[in-house]
Amino acid sequence: MKKFLALVLSLMMLCMAMPAMADGLAVGTFDPASAGNVELSFGWWGNQVRDEVTKNAADFFTQNYPNITFNLNAQSWSNYWALMSTYSANNDLPDVMQQDYAYIEQWVEAGDLLDLTPYVESGALDLSNVPQNIIDTGKVGDGIYAVCAGVNAPALLYNKTLTDSLSIEVPDNITWEQFVEISRKIYAETGVGVLYGDGNTENHLTYYARSLGYTALWDTNGMLASAEELTGYYQRLIDGVAEGWLFDTDKRAGVNVNDLAQNPLVYGSTNEVRTWCAFAFSNQIAAFQAAATADGKELGITSWASANPAASNYMKPSQFFSITTDTKNPDLAVAFLNYLINDVQANTILRAERGVPANSLVAAEIADEVSKLDATYTLVVDYLAKVEKCSSPIFPPLPSYSGTVQTEVIETLAGELLLKNPTMTAEEAAQTLVDSTAEIAADY
Amino acid sequence: MTALSTPRKKSGFVAWINKESTAGYMFSLPFIFGFLMFMVIPMGLSLFYSFCKYDIQNPPVWIGLDNYIKIFTKDPTFVKALTVTCYYALIGTPLKVIFALIVALILNHESKAVPIYRATYYLPSIIGGSVAVAILWRRMFESTGTINALLGQIFPFLKGYNWFSEGPAIWVLIILTVWQFGSSMLIFLSALKQIPRELYEAAHVDGANGSQQFWRVTLPLLTPTIFFNLVQQTINSFLAFTQCKLITNGDPRKSTLFYTVYQYNKAFPAVGKSQMGYASALAWIMLIIISVVTALLFWSRSKWVYDD
Repeated sequence: MKKFLALVLSLMMLCMAMPAMADGLAVGTFDPASAGNVELSFGWWGNQVRDEVTKNAADFFTQNYPNITFNLNAQSWSNYWALMSTYSANNDLPDVMQQDYAYIEQWVEAGDLLDLTPYVESGALDLSNVPQNIIDTGKVGDGIYAVCAGVNAPALLYNKTLTDSLSIEVPDNITWEQFVEISRKIYAETGVGVLYGDGNTENHLTYYARSLGYTALWDTNGMLASAEELTGYYQRLIDGVAEGWLFDTDKRAGVNVNDLAQNPLVYGSTNEVRTWCAFAFSNQIAAFQAAATADGKELGITSWASANPAASNYMKPSQFFSITTDTKNPDLAVAFLNYLINDVQANTILRAERGVPANSLVAAEIADEVSKLDATYTLVVDYLAKVEKCSSPIFPPLPSYSGTVQTEVIETLAGELLLKNPTMTAEEAAQTLVDSTAEIAADY
Repeated sequence: MTALSTPRKKSGFVAWINKESTAGYMFSLPFIFGFLMFMVIPMGLSLFYSFCKYDIQNPPVWIGLDNYIKIFTKDPTFVKALTVTCYYALIGTPLKVIFALIVALILNHESKAVPIYRATYYLPSIIGGSVAVAILWRRMFESTGTINALLGQIFPFLKGYNWFSEGPAIWVLIILTVWQFGSSMLIFLSALKQIPRELYEAAHVDGANGSQQFWRVTLPLLTPTIFFNLVQQTINSFLAFTQCKLITNGDPRKSTLFYTVYQYNKAFPAVGKSQMGYASALAWIMLIIISVVTALLFWSRSKWVYDD
């Protein structure tokens, strides 16, 4: 409540200060005031915190340019892509859409994203303060199709209140052995478990493959690692369930993981249905902590467990913004994009919820203000500094067939392996994964 | 000539507009338009897509019978989803119809409170298919939800019972459909009202007791209504979607995966390309299955339905 009040008060201050800096918004070379009355549409996936701050940033834009209004489309991750595909079929995509690093290439291939290179060259979109390696992550071929809104890393968010009460120290760059040991101890003493290897599993498998020395899980033809090598991943699932600390298929069905506010890390009244950690991304700590605060818990952050954290972990330029080819006002959309990326006030309002801003000048300028609004921001910045020292370059964007493998193979296998009496061995699961992936890839 | 032709034309139009058939066409136009736009054309398209590889974003590519062959030869999920849906329809529907009949019999009395009860029991059917009820249902059956709290008082071992584990999860959905017995109940009530009083009087004179009256008079005369409810509810069960999508989404291990949800997940997957062609083929197979089941029900009609 206090935080919310602080946000409201600071927003009010910003609004009052506004007339004095009416021409202060960073919108590039195009003047939105000259665009006439336009409604810009803007779609993203998110959570309660993100939905709120993004709406505030759009409102602030409207206050400065009353002729521009917004049609905001906030979705959950699980609905977002299906909905956007439908819009795309109808040539009705929002002017500005949030994109994910993994999927940019597929959307460019489908011809849905606008090449921003001419706007960068004309100065309408200013990327001069965004590091070149970050700009490159939004490139497909020679074109810039997406601009990074923030930098993240995979992050293990854990219930610090619980680990402190058991005097457990959760180390940085945690190894899988350390993780298992802590999980066993917590399960033995409290009954609180772990949710792993289900939902977003493609991320876990990638993390595992990277610990073996591969850069990525797959390429256009199928899995890079062999079935023998991936067996270890499925053995983890079998062992964890056998020892009890890992949520099995039935227990997993009892919790709702699609809704962050109902994630077992922050929701559930008995220890049996709770977890001591969540495999998430660093920016999500703001939303998780908001839910945990209501629950009287404090969260900590470390990296996902891996046999080799330096090889597995990566900095992820995430949460890109793209302009779609369906837009009727590309100049205005670019001006708004420029505002989202380069405007200090906008980024203060956005509270770095999508990750530490890609514009390094903006990131430095908002740090104090955002830390005041949101205590988790300092944790994130510190964590990312650690990841930068102990990580490897990110994998290439996912091959286009990956989504189908995720929903039809990876999730199905996890369901079988996480049973108390698994219907197949780890070897069989790994073999099925490799074979089915190759088959789907060939068929795409 | 020209002066004459104009009024003749006009009178032709007036005559046409005054014709009875024109008025008929005009009045049925909204339906015909809707039927064409929202039924015939989409169905035709879906039939076409079912022979195509189609991902919504790119134009469909004709692949002949490939989708159907794949469904029948190498899609275990199709078999699983069909089994689950049949289980749900074949267990849930009779339970629902029996329950509706029992409640209708109880409410078939003249009393001032009865209309209130009727309205109350009908309520779940109005709100039943909605998103809000599905979410509420999920909350109620959670390990610390209302159901466990109530049952835990009577059966302490049920405390923290996981309703969403593999065995009971489908029953959570079946209980929801049985709970929505209202529309069947109303149909039963009106049928009960139409049974002539004389039959009961005659039975009474012949010395039949209450249960004999029910089995020999009420039930036979209700069989046409039971049949109607059965057909209608069976079709509804095969088409159930919202409950499954929102309460279990097919979990765990596809043990509650309804056919319609499987189809939806193929057409609109959370990640990855849409397989609209494949989903369309699934839809046509479902149409055939429903037709066969309905035909079977009609075929059985002569065996047990009492017609006079």
